[in-house]
Amino acid sequence: MDSLNQGEFSFSNDTIKQDLSLLIQALDSSISGIILTDNQQPDNPIIYCNKSFERMTGYARHEIIGHNCRFLQKEDRNQKERLLLRKAVEDGAECVVEIRNYQKNGTLFWNELYMSPIKNEQGVVCYFIGVQNDITRRKKAEMELLHQQEIMESQIRQRTKSLKESEDYLSSIVQTVRESLVVLDPAFKVLSINDHFLKTFKVSKEETEGKLLYELGNGQWDIPKLKELLENILPTNNPVEEFEVEHDFPHIGKKLMLLNAHRIELEGQYKDRILIAIEDITDRREIERRKDDFLSIASHELKTPLTTIKGYVQIMQRLMPDSADDKFKDILRKTGIYVERLNSLIAELLDMSRIQTGNIELHKEEFDFDKAIHEAVENIQAATKTHRIIISGKATNNYAGDESHIVQVINNLLSNAVKYAPESNEVKVYLSRVSNFLKVAVTDAGMGIKIEDQKRIFDRFFRVGEIQQRFPGMGIGLYVCDQIIKNHGGTLWVESEPGKGSTFSFTLPLEERNTNER
Amino acid sequence: MSDKTILICDDDEGILDMLELVLEETGYRIVPVKNSLHIYDEIEKQNPDLILLDLWMPVLSGDQVLRTLRKNPDTRALPVIVISASREGERIANEAGANSFLAKPFDLEMLVNRVNEMIAA
Repeated sequence: MDSLNQGEFSFSNDTIKQDLSLLIQALDSSISGIILTDNQQPDNPIIYCNKSFERMTGYARHEIIGHNCRFLQKEDRNQKERLLLRKAVEDGAECVVEIRNYQKNGTLFWNELYMSPIKNEQGVVCYFIGVQNDITRRKKAEMELLHQQEIMESQIRQRTKSLKESEDYLSSIVQTVRESLVVLDPAFKVLSINDHFLKTFKVSKEETEGKLLYELGNGQWDIPKLKELLENILPTNNPVEEFEVEHDFPHIGKKLMLLNAHRIELEGQYKDRILIAIEDITDRREIERRKDDFLSIASHELKTPLTTIKGYVQIMQRLMPDSADDKFKDILRKTGIYVERLNSLIAELLDMSRIQTGNIELHKEEFDFDKAIHEAVENIQAATKTHRIIISGKATNNYAGDESHIVQVINNLLSNAVKYAPESNEVKVYLSRVSNFLKVAVTDAGMGIKIEDQKRIFDRFFRVGEIQQRFPGMGIGLYVCDQIIKNHGGTLWVESEPGKGSTFSFTLPLEERNTNER
Repeated sequence: MSDKTILICDDDEGILDMLELVLEETGYRIVPVKNSLHIYDEIEKQNPDLILLDLWMPVLSGDQVLRTLRKNPDTRALPVIVISASREGERIANEAGANSFLAKPFDLEMLVNRVNEMIAA
């Protein structure tokens, strides 16, 4: 190709034909579609197209030559790029557009059209040369990218919306809860509170949020016990549950509050925030107290006439002549038994209510444990003609606990041992010390307890099936015993074999003497 | 059989009657007091050797009575058995300075034994 010299064709007579043929071959092997239009003829018809243009458009050369380029746009005539082209044609200027064109079979392709004018020596535009590249793939990739972006944006909008919804949802839950909720930052500044807090403590959001907890309402939240919880307990025992705080608030009065506190340990923006849920149990505690009072009074009032009845029954028994009818003697004996049963039901009722509300108060005092057990055994023995109670061993002469409760336990175990072993005549009580515990074991040779019942006999209101018929009662005796022993830090359990008898044992921790509180 | 006097103070008439019946049988002279406000007068008049004292009584409760008796040099050593159906009875009785306590409803034999012991002492 020596005829190509610095981008210009130089034709010689000898080679012109050959060069033209080479040039046409070169144009035909280009992947760009190339056309020439004749601007000197009406409607600027196409006068040349290369092979690539035919390939690109799907039209054959004879369908192309003589047409204006616009046939490539078929009915898609409203593209703004057409205006650019028209203006370039009018101005005789160069231009580049990306325009939608259609192949003969209707398939869309994106055409990147480079158009430039060819002028004669007078500067008149005679021809336009159009170079076209099918950029459908690039366009498609661009469009896909755009589409992906739109999808992503819509997803983000969706997520943001659902996040907002879930935030609103959570916050509506928080606002509906009938418990006061407070969120603090690590420096104990109030970040947010719920409606119930506002209602309970009669404050407004404005005077609470953003303030330091201890400075709220002229320092009415500067409560030593709350400080202790937040500053000493929570840092080492996260989360804290059921922490009781009592405080006398200047305007709303004395409140008894049950607190759950939780410090966020999750890494992230909420780390070290403190959540506090406050349950106002002032009224509940008051109701419990009134119920206990009522039961105490009721049981006292019921026992008073019972005392008289019991006395008269005993007097009758004493005054009864030996000559009295056996039937009459039996009736009187039975009356005595039922008076006793009524008495223990009243006592059980009171115990039950107290244990349920957790209000069993322990009056811990040092007492001679072995002596108390011996006395209890003597008392039961005095009232028991059928069984001999044999006590042996030693535990301690100095135990700090609630003597009347412990005696209640031993009485209960002994009377059970007597009651449920009608065929035998001996009950054994053994006192011992095991490590830093004292241990009491009560063994009977009675009917025994089936393995499946052994756990449940300590449940409230549980009574072993056949026992129900033979020995009526409320079935809370062992439950109360279990609670009492637990309250003292010990355990109560049973070992038994049906038909051979049972051993009920309990242990109690022996505290170091110097830690005893008098 | 005995010239000893027992004062029983309880706001419940049934218990007073019943105790009177039982204890008179044993030969003691019985002074029943239903209204605890009169107890100090009766103690002065009757000079009892032992008092059986209820706790929950209207106006003046047994433990108040007992504390007053323990402050007075004349009655400081007077033996008092508290009888009560109150659950906390024993603790209250001990704190107020009772010599003995019996929970209601009590066993008569036990009561009589306790009374005899106290009077003999």
